[in-house]
Amino acid sequence: MLLVLTSVTAITLDFRDDGQGVMESMRSGARDAFAPVQAAVGKVFSPVGDFFGGITRFRKVKAENSRLRRDLEAAQGEAIRGADAIQENQLLNALARLDFAGDLRGITARVVSNSPSNFQLTVTVDRGSDEGVTTGMPVVTPAGLVGRISEVSRNRSTVLLLTDPASSVGVRLAGSREIGSVTGSGRRDLLPLSLISVETKVAEGEAVVTSGLEGGLFPPHIPVGRVRGAKITPGQLEQEVTIEPVVDLDRLELVRILIWQPTPSP
Amino acid sequence: MTADPRFRVPLLFLSALAVHLALIPVLRVGGVAPDVMLLLAVAGGLVGGPVRGAVLGFTAGIAVDVFLRTPMGLSALVFTLVGYTVGIVSTGVLTPSWYLPILTASLASAAGVVLYAFVGAMLGQPMVSRRLVTIVGVVAVGNALLAFPVIRVVTWAMGADTGLVSDIRGRRARADWR
Repeated sequence: MLLVLTSVTAITLDFRDDGQGVMESMRSGARDAFAPVQAAVGKVFSPVGDFFGGITRFRKVKAENSRLRRDLEAAQGEAIRGADAIQENQLLNALARLDFAGDLRGITARVVSNSPSNFQLTVTVDRGSDEGVTTGMPVVTPAGLVGRISEVSRNRSTVLLLTDPASSVGVRLAGSREIGSVTGSGRRDLLPLSLISVETKVAEGEAVVTSGLEGGLFPPHIPVGRVRGAKITPGQLEQEVTIEPVVDLDRLELVRILIWQPTPSP
Repeated sequence: MTADPRFRVPLLFLSALAVHLALIPVLRVGGVAPDVMLLLAVAGGLVGGPVRGAVLGFTAGIAVDVFLRTPMGLSALVFTLVGYTVGIVSTGVLTPSWYLPILTASLASAAGVVLYAFVGAMLGQPMVSRRLVTIVGVVAVGNALLAFPVIRVVTWAMGADTGLVSDIRGRRARADWR
């Protein structure tokens, strides 16, 4: 009876205070005091709750799990695509602002295949005569020279890489200003540089750029490579200079075809 | 493996060309890849004898020439000669053994590459250089590794039971029977 009366009294007081009097103060104090304990206990028992919840809601949890897995995979794929898109965007931006190309306009193209021959070092790009590509046009990356267009169809073009034995590029040593010629050797890592006199001082690491002489196949100032080594053989009039291409020709992805034609020599 | 024999050889060509153009350029060692189309000519000679080898070699060569800057017919010429020669040599073998087709594929491929380079050089192509040694080595080893499956496929495509390979198969069958 006492407990019932106490209860009724409490209810009455609570109603009278309208949620702002003693009863509410007691509730609030108790909640605050108990909060840390509640949290700790909740943590301890949450796995148990999850376990039972998992049993009772197994199918729902399983479905949710596979949905989350799918979402995660999609998110991971999106992240990879995003990273790839950022890389490609950076590359496209770099291709659009080629310092060495000056005012020359260009066509951005994607490398779609490598040469099926062991004797020819070429790549095929996805731009052809429909986009205005013609044979002889130089092909570059933001790093430097790749080669030149050797064949064109409506939607595809073949790029003769500067490492192909049929390729020859008129170049200039950036330091000494000496003019030479780089001929493809079939190797992708080293190229011989000829016509460099034994009297010329050639420094290792010296930049080599296209000479751009009249009648040449390329416009001037396009980076070609860096000097790897120079050897003077007694009795020879030329040094044996080797250069390393600045462009990684094994990993070509996007290139720029410069709208430029060689001027015929008089 | 029950396709109409009339469609098998064209199917073989298309598949081999697709592999040659798409897959092989990616599988390079030192910038050099095995030559599947040359191997097709070699396998043609091994499986079908000199005439079939020459025909298969010519067709494979022409198919490759279409995709290259080299003079049209250069590959066709070399592959025809390789297919024919392999056919002649293989029919003259008296004591075949399991490794002989692989050895033949390797040596014939190497010889084919050298012939290709020298005929190309005669036609003004800059093909003979120190790099030729690398090309010959990689093609000889790569084609030897691919020889067994390619010979099997060519045997199926030709529906052939002549030449060195069938000889070997016949000997093996006889040994099993005993």
